[in-house]
Amino acid sequence: MADLKLTDVKKSFGNVAVLHGIDLDIKHGEFVVLVGASGCGKSTLLRLIAGLDEITSGSMEIGGEEVNGIAPAKRGIAMVFQSYALYPHMSVFKNMAFGLKVTGSDKASIQKKVEQAAKTLGIDHLLKRLPRELSGGQRQRVAIGRAIVRDPKVFLFDEPLSNLDAALRVQTRVEIGKLHKELGATIVYVTHDQVEAMTLGDKIVVMNAGRIEQCGTPLQLYQHPQTLFVAGFIGSPKMNFIEGIVKHISEDCLVLTLSDGTITKAYVDSSGCNLDDVVTFGIRPEHLTEDSSADVSLLATVTLVEQLGEASYLYLTLADGTEMVMRTSGESTTIIGEQVEVGFNPESGHVFDADGGALTRLRAGNTKSVAELAQIKAQLSN
Amino acid sequence: MKIRHDRAKALMVHAVLLTYTLIALFPIWVVIINAFKSRKAIFNDPLALPTADTFSIVGFEEVLLRSEFDVFFSNSMIVTLTSIFFVLLFGAMIAWALTEYKFKGNLLIAVLVAMGIMIPIRLGTVSILQLMSDLNLVNTLTALVLVYIAQGLPLAVYILSEFIRQIPKDLKEAARCDGVGEIKIFFAIIVPLIKPAMATVAVFTMIPIWNDLWFPLILAPSEGNQTITLGVQQFIGQFVTDWNSVLAALTLAILPILVLYLIFSRQLIRGLTSGAVK
Amino acid sequence: MTKTSAGKPFPWHILFFLGPGLLIYFSVSVYPLLDTLRLSFFHESSDGSLAFAGLANFTKLLFDVVWSEPFWNATWNNLVFFFIHMLVQNPIGLLLAVLLSSPKLRLSGTYRTLIFMPTMLSVVIIGFVWQLLLSPLWGITENFMWNLGLEDYFDAWLGKESSALVTLAFISVWQFVGIPMMLIYAALLSIPDELSDASVVDGANPWQAFFYIKLPLILPTIGMVSILTFVANFNAFELVYTIKGALAGPNYSTDIMGTLFYRTFFGFQLQEGSLTMGAAVATLMFLVILLGVALYLFFFQRRIKRFQL
Repeated sequence: MADLKLTDVKKSFGNVAVLHGIDLDIKHGEFVVLVGASGCGKSTLLRLIAGLDEITSGSMEIGGEEVNGIAPAKRGIAMVFQSYALYPHMSVFKNMAFGLKVTGSDKASIQKKVEQAAKTLGIDHLLKRLPRELSGGQRQRVAIGRAIVRDPKVFLFDEPLSNLDAALRVQTRVEIGKLHKELGATIVYVTHDQVEAMTLGDKIVVMNAGRIEQCGTPLQLYQHPQTLFVAGFIGSPKMNFIEGIVKHISEDCLVLTLSDGTITKAYVDSSGCNLDDVVTFGIRPEHLTEDSSADVSLLATVTLVEQLGEASYLYLTLADGTEMVMRTSGESTTIIGEQVEVGFNPESGHVFDADGGALTRLRAGNTKSVAELAQIKAQLSN
Repeated sequence: MKIRHDRAKALMVHAVLLTYTLIALFPIWVVIINAFKSRKAIFNDPLALPTADTFSIVGFEEVLLRSEFDVFFSNSMIVTLTSIFFVLLFGAMIAWALTEYKFKGNLLIAVLVAMGIMIPIRLGTVSILQLMSDLNLVNTLTALVLVYIAQGLPLAVYILSEFIRQIPKDLKEAARCDGVGEIKIFFAIIVPLIKPAMATVAVFTMIPIWNDLWFPLILAPSEGNQTITLGVQQFIGQFVTDWNSVLAALTLAILPILVLYLIFSRQLIRGLTSGAVK
Repeated sequence: MTKTSAGKPFPWHILFFLGPGLLIYFSVSVYPLLDTLRLSFFHESSDGSLAFAGLANFTKLLFDVVWSEPFWNATWNNLVFFFIHMLVQNPIGLLLAVLLSSPKLRLSGTYRTLIFMPTMLSVVIIGFVWQLLLSPLWGITENFMWNLGLEDYFDAWLGKESSALVTLAFISVWQFVGIPMMLIYAALLSIPDELSDASVVDGANPWQAFFYIKLPLILPTIGMVSILTFVANFNAFELVYTIKGALAGPNYSTDIMGTLFYRTFFGFQLQEGSLTMGAAVATLMFLVILLGVALYLFFFQRRIKRFQL
């Protein structure tokens, strides 16, 4: 079993602390995505798992074995680099064989493993080419192939799609997803792109400033972001935030006055709230409608319209100057300068306290946790 | 365990580099410290620093008295600075013309200039001397300047071309749309943009000119026109047994370069390692 | 951006940009070189007039014992001089570059600056400095070796026929080791870190990473360093002239192409200088350098492709 367990892992470069104590538990076969803005420490964490950098304190186990101080090649990991890091002077075959060759595998088994991996990836006709004679997508596959032949317990991907153009990125994303199913391997995947994270990950780890903000399934992060940061990070366009003041508290519901004067309910756990607390109310663009008969409606001026075809984004300004975005039907005829009434269902709202922590939502679709999903998966496969 | 291993490795690396650094510096160090000692001290204990007892600048006094070090120095300055100025100016102009305009003979000129990087100008010395004597320039600093401009141009054109190629087309085209003339475009837009590259070229051009012995020896060997390199060579050849003077002359030749180098080493090394020369 | 001459006014601005620089370059560099090649086919009579002599100068240089012996001697010495640079200077430069590029090395900038320093100084100065250091009169080297228990091996190396050339070569190596060091160091820096990381993850030890990954990638630079060394060595003059004079003693044992050219052209002591024979020596030097550069371009650079990183 290739579980990966990190306990209170810290890393500093000189006096600069980059990771402030990471706890992470990755089960065998899981596809885990580390996501965050650049500089949040996600790549550093990946390099620590790879063993390219030493952890400053804490412990790290792969398959139940402490790997602190063990050389990268002996940790049972393989890594796919952002730039692919193919050896430019070696053919595709030699690139894939290099790791096996330097660790002393015999020629026949190298030949077999490389050919097999090449076939899996559909690059068996390219084995004699040099990297520079390959397209971006082909290089990407070679880099993955180089990882596969070493038969690792854990695959590490460092932003592997960032050098591909948009169309190829979608295609390769799908292929990586399939590959994961085929190999059944444990994958740790770093990206700054939340769409990649949502589509690929069984489990997503959102990182910010050297800490884990939240860890969960894609839907958990979408429906129950635990912090303002996660709420803003997951989802595109990002969630709208409006300042509000708590005016009334009941057991399963708050009544807020938003900064533009609108009054709304919010179905959240109100146990820690006091009257007149300043909170942040969050509502996703896709949960706003142009339907004026909705439970709550805001009066706004349209400042910009982006028409994407299947949908349009309206950029709005409320009476107090707060800016918002809404996603509406592509058929919408709203134009710039128009006054609109924007409605939403209070059940789709989020509330964050002054420290940026989320108040638990009570009426949103309850999503299953990673552990629950794993259980269901296991039952299904039995 | 790995950390200890790493530390041992780092220590080894430092040991080797430090050893070689000492090998590189030791000879220069010995010459400089002994230049400030009395003759007796030079021989009794060459590796000792000058002390109150052994301190002496008699060598320097001799050198300044018996040779025209100030003249040599200013000759070298004049020749080097003038040459660098024209190498940069003409080099940038040629580089610009060759990269920017298409005209007949462009490739031929580019190839002829590029050949100058590899083929030393010294091989033409026989005819250069004849040419200079035809022009009545033998024993003048002008002759040296002309030769050094010709010597420095190829590398300057090469390096500056690389930089000029990286200047976005839009800049020039915007200027042309505004009706700015070609010559104005070059001086007002291109030259300011390639200044960093020019600094690199200046350093690369300066060193061989300042240090050259061959052409001063052949073209301007007479009294009053020697450069510092030739002057030191002739002086030491004459006073070879006067150790104080020899050491002082060497020190006088080394120190200015040493100071300049320590000031500009960053610039130079950045130029060398930035791939300006390939 | 194209300005063709057809139908347009004469492109004066091109002339303005090219004119002054090319005038100097062609008249002081290209023309003299071509004229030197031309002169090598002429004979100069005592009244100074020139007469076409065909290949006579070259047959003299290559086959007439009076001329050919010094010529082949200088050629051979120059080859020895070059091989010592290739075998000592460039490997040491490579080693220093590799050490300097070790990750997270402290003081790397300081080492680099100091080791490169001798390269900046004039060959003339360096020549005198080492002449003093190796002088048995002063005895610095002798004392030094005595301290190491090697005093029996000390000799007046610069004065002996058997060791003078090698000693000069080592002095030159000492001075110029900074050049291969810097160029190879720059090449090593340009190898992306991810490649080294990839080789570590692949399980390569430092030696394997060097021989399989880094060395092949810096081969083009090593090739360039070699050709630069070749051209510089076959053009060398100052060091021998400074330490051993134009006669390149003892008994011409340190004579190289540069000093031979100088003596042939200007004459020295009993030997009378000759314009045309000097031109012939320069022409042969030109051919040797051309041959070296051609070999490099056609064999070395063609085989070792520059890899896109």
